[in-house]
Amino acid sequence: MNELDILLRGRKTDSISSASESATIREIATLLQKRPLSPFARSICVRMVDAGSSNDVEIEEGLMNSPQVDCERFGIHFVASPRHADVLLVSGPVTINMKLALEKTYAAMPYPKAVVAAGDGACSGGVLSDALGVYKSGRVDEVIPISVKVPGNPPTPYELVLGILKAGEMLSRQKD
Amino acid sequence: MIAKNFLQALEGMPKRSRISANSADATTWIDVTPEEVPAACMALANAGGIFDSAFAYPAASRAQWALAYVFRLESRGLAAVRSRGKSFHSVSASLSAAIWDERKMHEISGAEFSGLPDVRPIVSHPENAAIEQKNRAQKHAKPLKNGNGENTYPFVGTGEEGEFEVAVGPVHAGIIEPGHFRFFVSGEGVNKMEARLSYMHRGIEGFAKGKKMEDMFPIIEQISGDESASNSVAFAQAAESLCGIQVPQRAQTIRLLLLEEERIYSHLADLGGIATDVGFAAPASQFLALRERMMRLNEKCFGNRFLRDVVALGGTHRDMPREKISELRSGIEFFSKAILEIENLTMSSSTFLDRAFSAGWVSAKSASRFCLVGPGARASGISCDTRKHFPYGAYAHVALNEALATDGDALARFMVKLNETKESARLISEEIAHMPSGPFCAHEIPNAKAGSISFGMCEAPRGGCTMLLQAGKHNTIQNLSVRTASFRNWRALEKAILKNIIADFQLINKSFNLSYAGADL
Repeated sequence: MNELDILLRGRKTDSISSASESATIREIATLLQKRPLSPFARSICVRMVDAGSSNDVEIEEGLMNSPQVDCERFGIHFVASPRHADVLLVSGPVTINMKLALEKTYAAMPYPKAVVAAGDGACSGGVLSDALGVYKSGRVDEVIPISVKVPGNPPTPYELVLGILKAGEMLSRQKD
Repeated sequence: MIAKNFLQALEGMPKRSRISANSADATTWIDVTPEEVPAACMALANAGGIFDSAFAYPAASRAQWALAYVFRLESRGLAAVRSRGKSFHSVSASLSAAIWDERKMHEISGAEFSGLPDVRPIVSHPENAAIEQKNRAQKHAKPLKNGNGENTYPFVGTGEEGEFEVAVGPVHAGIIEPGHFRFFVSGEGVNKMEARLSYMHRGIEGFAKGKKMEDMFPIIEQISGDESASNSVAFAQAAESLCGIQVPQRAQTIRLLLLEEERIYSHLADLGGIATDVGFAAPASQFLALRERMMRLNEKCFGNRFLRDVVALGGTHRDMPREKISELRSGIEFFSKAILEIENLTMSSSTFLDRAFSAGWVSAKSASRFCLVGPGARASGISCDTRKHFPYGAYAHVALNEALATDGDALARFMVKLNETKESARLISEEIAHMPSGPFCAHEIPNAKAGSISFGMCEAPRGGCTMLLQAGKHNTIQNLSVRTASFRNWRALEKAILKNIIADFQLINKSFNLSYAGADL
């Protein structure tokens, strides 16, 4: 196989339609049919912070970039600095040692900004809520305000896409 | 069956030591006084024992701690040097691999160490001392101060003229976990790198205390997401050895399928990551697509993308019906073809070979000095596969071809991981050809004897992981200590980056791909 062969093999990307088997994909399709997600014009820059999850959410965030999901077609792309970001994607439970870093990352983001809590740990503390290294109950909203919750152990790449699109929609409503 | 050199080592032990053997998990316990610990450990190390881990747990009598220094003896089981007391002599002055273990024990237990070369805290961060902590069950926990009594963490450079520091993390630019790296550079070459971790410390070991063994699996799966199955199997084996459970053949084979499937999807991320970090996007996308495909196969065959919620105490939660086995078979057939094509694409590129060759070199000597495990050690020519040397479950009747390389650089680690995925695919297709029939879980769970101790070992994708489990009353957990492959191998990364340029750090880091959560617990 060489690089040109890959082009001839047809696309690997999943199709997004309102007739899909998956409820998440149907919801994404309906959301995309609505008005464009201003003020970002379908361009949402995301910075992720893993504040204490077991690297599972971070793996699924990595797979949002896989050829099948390809989150860039929804206008979502991951940026290197919180100063470039519209949405902060946080997984948890928030540990005592990550609390300060999470606060600083949130403070570095320009307005308007939204936070998506990804995974059971970030939304509710999860199974490790009472562990000693976890800050309070481990919920992200005990450290910074959140806009969207995406539960799951861990949430799938499409559930994360949907959560980020919802956060983008909320931001556009704020502008109006 | 005890090796000759092991017998010689036992003869070299301090005079008053007491030696006992546990036949259930093939562990030899060597009880010595606190003063004699360094001599006993060095006797084992000199006789060819490989330092595996060191654990501290409260001893039966109050205000006393028990320390267990665990060594692997070439295919002959484990030997553990155990000592009880309040103050101990540090081993790491002569056995440098133990330094992180001893720093951790010094910090989180009440045991005092004399002669510890480095007393900086490794688990808690002194600058967070003001943050509201939960009611600490560990009454012995020392105040959060660094060695100088200040609330900061000092990094120590080499003192070379014109040296400056580069701080990276904990929040990185890519989609990875948090950790802090401090580079000491003069010019482009790195003189020294110190990793400061524990940003992900959630306190899993302490949280396990008092939990029922069968309820522990969701918590064990939180140690590291992409090692969920391996850690669960390691824990299950320790618990089953304590309770005296015979795991049915079919369950052992299903566990083997899980572990090998996990190795495939974990390694695919590392291989793709190495291709990404040298800027070679075509194979990187192919690896990523194959990985997503394998994750979907996991969900179809085992019900979960991360293979969670399958391993149970005494076997597995679910059986594998015939249609799922044939699904797995066709998925693995596809994988075996696809991986060869991507390998061809990657290895025929001179730019890829040029970047990966000689980057992050770890010599065989360093690898054995740091007592590395997993692909990191095998890439330097050290045979250390738990599946081969300590065969557990269905691996006892499997002929495993251990993937080895000798160069010890990023390319060697790439090749080892690539060959391991192929070997895993071979094992899976071999095993599903003759799945044993019968039950998939033991019917009865007998109670473990309170206070008894067992070790659980498993070869996770990143290397061997060892757990110490002490049973309480009614199958609860009195103590759980975990040493993951990531914890053991982080110091190899500090070594591998030396004399390389900072720009190659991400490539070298990815070639090890250690888990931050797995090391921090």
